[in-house]
Amino acid sequence: MPFDQALRFASIWLASTSFIGLALGAGLPEWLAALTGAALIVAFLRNRGHKSVERLARFSPISPAGWNLLVIVGFLGFWVDMLWVSGELLPAGIHFLMILMIIKLFNLKLRRDYLHLYAISLVAILASGSLTTDLWYLPIFLLYLLAGVWTLLLFQLTKHPEETQVLTMSGTVRSQASASVHLVTPQFFWLANGLAFATFGLTLAIFFTVPRVSAGFYQKGVGENMRTSGFSETVNLGEIGPIKRDPSVVMRVELADGSPNKADGLYLRGVAFDQYDGKAWTNRLGYRRSVNEDGTGAFVLLGNRSAAPARLGETIRQNILLEPLDTPVLFAAPFIERVSGKFPSVQSDLTGSAYLPFPSSSRIEYSVLSRSNPVLPADLSSEPSLYPESFTRHFLQIPVQSERIAILAKEVTHTQRATFDKVHAIQSFLAHNFHYSLDAPLAELNHPLEEFLFSRKTGYCEHYATAMVMMLRTVGIPARLVTGFLATEWNEYGNYYLVRQQDAHAWVEVYLPHSGWITMDPTPPSLESVGSNSPAWHALGRMMDTVRLQWSRFFVQYSAADQLAVVRELKAGGTSARNKALDSMGTLFNPFMAMVGGIKEYVFNGTISSLAEVLGLALIGLAFFLWLGIKRPWAKAMAGKKTTRDQQPIVQLYGRMIGHLARKGISKPASSPPLEFVRLTQERWRDAGSAVGSITELYCRARFGQISPTRAELSLAEGHLRYLMALHKP
Amino acid sequence: MNATEIILAIQENIARVIKGKPHVIEMSLVALLARGHLLLEDVPGVGKTTLAHSLARSLDCSFKRIQFTSDLLPSDIVGVSIFNRQKQAFEFMPGPIFANIVLADEINRTTPKTQSSLLEAMSEAQISFDNKTYPLNQPFMVIATQNPAEYHGTFPLPESQLDRFLMRLRIGYPSPEEEKKVLHRSQLLHPAEELQPLLTAHDVLLLQEQVDHVLMEESITDYLLAIVQCTRQSDLLSLGVSTRGALALSRAAKALSLVRGRTFCLPDDIKELAPIVLSHRIMVARTQGIRQRSFEQAERIIQDLVESIPVPV
Repeated sequence: MPFDQALRFASIWLASTSFIGLALGAGLPEWLAALTGAALIVAFLRNRGHKSVERLARFSPISPAGWNLLVIVGFLGFWVDMLWVSGELLPAGIHFLMILMIIKLFNLKLRRDYLHLYAISLVAILASGSLTTDLWYLPIFLLYLLAGVWTLLLFQLTKHPEETQVLTMSGTVRSQASASVHLVTPQFFWLANGLAFATFGLTLAIFFTVPRVSAGFYQKGVGENMRTSGFSETVNLGEIGPIKRDPSVVMRVELADGSPNKADGLYLRGVAFDQYDGKAWTNRLGYRRSVNEDGTGAFVLLGNRSAAPARLGETIRQNILLEPLDTPVLFAAPFIERVSGKFPSVQSDLTGSAYLPFPSSSRIEYSVLSRSNPVLPADLSSEPSLYPESFTRHFLQIPVQSERIAILAKEVTHTQRATFDKVHAIQSFLAHNFHYSLDAPLAELNHPLEEFLFSRKTGYCEHYATAMVMMLRTVGIPARLVTGFLATEWNEYGNYYLVRQQDAHAWVEVYLPHSGWITMDPTPPSLESVGSNSPAWHALGRMMDTVRLQWSRFFVQYSAADQLAVVRELKAGGTSARNKALDSMGTLFNPFMAMVGGIKEYVFNGTISSLAEVLGLALIGLAFFLWLGIKRPWAKAMAGKKTTRDQQPIVQLYGRMIGHLARKGISKPASSPPLEFVRLTQERWRDAGSAVGSITELYCRARFGQISPTRAELSLAEGHLRYLMALHKP
Repeated sequence: MNATEIILAIQENIARVIKGKPHVIEMSLVALLARGHLLLEDVPGVGKTTLAHSLARSLDCSFKRIQFTSDLLPSDIVGVSIFNRQKQAFEFMPGPIFANIVLADEINRTTPKTQSSLLEAMSEAQISFDNKTYPLNQPFMVIATQNPAEYHGTFPLPESQLDRFLMRLRIGYPSPEEEKKVLHRSQLLHPAEELQPLLTAHDVLLLQEQVDHVLMEESITDYLLAIVQCTRQSDLLSLGVSTRGALALSRAAKALSLVRGRTFCLPDDIKELAPIVLSHRIMVARTQGIRQRSFEQAERIIQDLVESIPVPV
């Protein structure tokens, strides 16, 4: 492909990538996106030389002045857009940018038009970069970078007609306008791509190591928090049902102590409720107090200290990455003992839930130490006992209209004497006699619980849990409802639990006098699954999620502190590698060892801080690049290869001819100069003589005379070569 | 008329006299345009003198012939100072060297003393006499002839003298048909006398200047240097090519390119010129037999060496 055409393609490609970036990131209006897309396609087809498109373009009713007018109209539209329609600078600017791009795409004639297009594309890709932190930006940006390198290279290599002038022997200036043909050779192709990727790699290295001063001007604005339900002060029965079909990710939970028991899943406790009025749950104990920090950055929730004297409970340490939600609840496995994270303060209520002061608008990361309450042997045989009024008011509260439930509960538990056995009886009664379904429209009914227990016998976790709490309370066992998430999706690639909205769950906590609050779940395992069913798809989805997470962790939220960590790690790794190398060397060169060790100590145990080292490295790198720029060590190597540009096509053609002749049995001796080889060929293959002669002549002129062949000459030479290829050697 | 056409015309002009030897004629023009001197070495009677004569006649230049004999003195070439009675001073009377084209016939017949009087003239194009320096006419070209067959009473040219010749040519016998044409020609007049001059001295100088503008691509220079280097390292030779020799080959290649109507050199030029430009600048090692100074042998060795060197592609 000639350079000119390649340049046009690369330019359209550049514009396309920046447009796609904007379309994905900024949410362009459909009509504008469609218009820009159409303009890009038309420009592409025109470049391909589609006749119909060319004809269409010729009938274009808009004169150059008309285009200018359009620009002005677009500019006025920008003001209107900014002041009244979208009301903001950035979206209005982006719309205007797209209109400019469309106009430019229809007017790509002069070289400066291309320059304008590049500028527009640059602004567009920058804008889309500032509007998004998603992973899809990476491939788009890579494509943009590739296109950028191509266009820059080609733009430099294709010249103005008036730039290509050759000084002839007589001293006059001869114009070689459009005479020289530049082709995109495989070498050039790989060079350009290699350059692009080298640029990317270099940028990546700089991103990770060179310290940055502050974040950019265009920080991502406050995003919209994900809506969730079931974690507010009051929760209507059946509220969780609708979000049980939502697969969006809520949080990711890493377990500090290895992989979990996958069969059970992990309960992530959110909020507990004590009061039920027959339709809705309320948390009367939701009064929040600030939690003290223990000096190491961890917030200790004293109220959750286990009631058990022997602390037999199993501890779980979790690192949780919580997406922005509309609730300030900090989810964790029951029961939270310590929370640490980058929070100014943490609050807790009387049910042992932890909260932030207000919902976070960005993704937060925190780690939690939880300890579950074991069932102590003393509780296995104890009978229901009496509790203080302040306790029964909350956890033995029963709505008025529940005689039927009380009768049912007594029926279920009358054979059992011990509290714990009664709890189990109710749990297994619910688990075995009811039907799990998300399609239960119980929320609208007046008495959803009675409906669930006695007539429909179909419901989901909330109904099961509510029923269990009510039945326990009617037989005098304190209980409360807990909402949260049941994590079951283990991501084996990233080693974390992936928790989605659909994992929202409600379960029961039962109070046993000696053990304290025990987690019980009456809901049978769901048979329904949401989303695609193929395991392969699931695995792919998990893998993608891991990639997304790493992207967010290492790029979007990459901070100066992380940079220091990377540098420290590099330094540690480097030191250990150095030590290893020195050790092995030491066995070989013992006498030098002491000296080397001394130097090593001097260099590495000095007072240089890691930041200074980074700065030093950056300076050395800068000096190296300056040295490269000034000394140009490659210039010498390039000097002998002046043929690489203009003469390339004919030199390649000559090479192909030599190869073809060699296959025909006339191979060129290394010591045979071109004209001598022509004579040799003529002697041995008369018919080929003239073709070989004319190709050789062009080759000699280009290679040794530095006179580039014209397009016509080149095509003639190609014709000669084809003739030669077709020629039958006797 | 451009350079190429003029050069072609001169070649045709000389070819009217020297039958069947286009290559020799071309090379003598190369020597002229490269500002070099020519050593013609061949048996008597094959047209050495005629070639020099015709070349001089084709150019509108002064031509002098010096017949070298054993009793020739340097002053016979350079000139003498004669006392002028009227001016009461010595006056320099320029010798035959003060011409554009000087034919040094049978150059190996004279003593080394006389031979070396040519040295300064050939390399610096000037003559120093009586503490005075006299520039020679431009263009200046020495065409020397010598007879390889007869060694009695000869003084072989020293290496330093040989090195100053751009190329050493053999003419060789013409083919029978060409010889027949020579015989049929009328013998009333010296054949060279019929020729008409085509170029003035100034034109020759312009052409010589154009040679300087011929492009020699870097890889060709490397090729040339590889050949020179090879002669210095070869076991067959006891003396390789000097830097002057490399320079001579480069100039000759440029001149040949111009003669052939090109503005740039080809590896072909170098390969073709190497034997005739380099063969008289080398000394064949004694291991190569007794005919050390044999022309053919030196040429063959150079040819073999060139064949061993890869051509730039």
